[in-house]
Amino acid sequence: MMMNYILFPNHDNAMRLYRELRKETIYAKIAPTPRSASKCCGVSLIVKKENLRQIQETIKGKEISIEKIVEIEEDINPQRDKYC
Amino acid sequence: MINFDNGSTSFPKAPGVGKVMADFIEKGAFNINRGNYEGSYNVELEVLECRERLARLFGCKHSKNVIFTPNITYSLNMVLKGVLKKGDHIITSSMEHNAVMRPLTQLKEQGVSFDLLQADEEGSIKASDINELIKDNTKAVVMLQASNVCGTIMPIQEIGQICRERNLLFILDTAQSAGDLPINMEEEGIDFLTFTGHKALLGPQGIGGFMLSKKGEKEIEPLISGGTGSFSNLLQMPEILPDRFESGTLNLPGILGLNKALEYLEKRGIRAIHQEKMNLTKQFLEGLKEIPAVRIVGKKSIAGRGAVVSLDFKGRDNARVAYQLESEYQILTRVGLHCAPMAHKSLKTFPEGTVRFSFGAFNQEEEVLTCLKAIREIVSL
Repeated sequence: MMMNYILFPNHDNAMRLYRELRKETIYAKIAPTPRSASKCCGVSLIVKKENLRQIQETIKGKEISIEKIVEIEEDINPQRDKYC
Repeated sequence: MINFDNGSTSFPKAPGVGKVMADFIEKGAFNINRGNYEGSYNVELEVLECRERLARLFGCKHSKNVIFTPNITYSLNMVLKGVLKKGDHIITSSMEHNAVMRPLTQLKEQGVSFDLLQADEEGSIKASDINELIKDNTKAVVMLQASNVCGTIMPIQEIGQICRERNLLFILDTAQSAGDLPINMEEEGIDFLTFTGHKALLGPQGIGGFMLSKKGEKEIEPLISGGTGSFSNLLQMPEILPDRFESGTLNLPGILGLNKALEYLEKRGIRAIHQEKMNLTKQFLEGLKEIPAVRIVGKKSIAGRGAVVSLDFKGRDNARVAYQLESEYQILTRVGLHCAPMAHKSLKTFPEGTVRFSFGAFNQEEEVLTCLKAIREIVSL
């Protein structure tokens, strides 16, 4: 399954967009940025692909800085991070 | 107890401040920009809300330009030492607090020079006098909005105008005015507005900050560097705001407490509170006119001043008077030089100092009457 992540330069911008999307009742979930997408240790928003156009309009209208939007395969490897 | 020392710190605080701080500590003291879980994100949203309230209150264009610090002294140090470099010149007034004068004196040893705009015996300055002090290497003007000693209000609008015309940065110290007097960064040409949360903003101690204009952003380097929870792969400080000036864990209970206080101020109205305090100041000043043994230092009426009144008790030790007020009448004041020796020199009260009465958002007319009665009794002894 593919997941859409919006990446930000810092937490402040992520929270700003999260709050705007919540106001507009657009689904968004705050999550740690996947390491495969960025090494910046920040947070990102998981959003639905069908909302992307509307989300981009909000980003532009509210002067929110984002780094990029990425689509990542949900990578749940049951063997990863298991310790004996 | 009658608290007439709200200039040192306000008490009581706004309703609910203590509770939100205690709840944060007791029920989930999560760190922002670090923790990756819902509790942390919820705190981040509250911090954002606090930044937005402050930006609205002070006419700051964007809430990302609101930077939190431990207090206004830190803010002034971060701004002055982040902006001024060897060879720069800065103009200030003779009414400044040591939060400005000590950093400037320290910077002087590093090759920064400064000139003082001399205030008169009422603590007033003439804005146009700045023009005579401007040199080729003048970079900024730093000034308080209202005197912490005698309440005199500075001509901020005119100073901002001069700074814009002469391409100087304008740094404002709002320690005694934030939450009391109207301030608008954009309209008044302020590049760096420094504030404290624990005085007229009715928040807790340990939280302050500063705000930067678009122009100011380009003129300041961070004084403190460290982890920000962003760009962690890099060794340099991030360029982005507010991260660039907020290294290390913030005083989150303080920010949440301040946010609660700002919510209260929005509901009650800063202008309404100011009017109530000025009514008390007027009542106090008029009552004092009938007590000849007391000299009002600074402006004698409410025009051009805030709710801070300094008194010199003629022929008496002002510290003894303050002690009597507290021990016999439970009236709290502040006596001495109020960390502003230059201001007291301007007001001709150095080194004796004065007894300062500073009214707050919760003081009442009856308390002023009690205080006037106490003063009459003390001077008649």
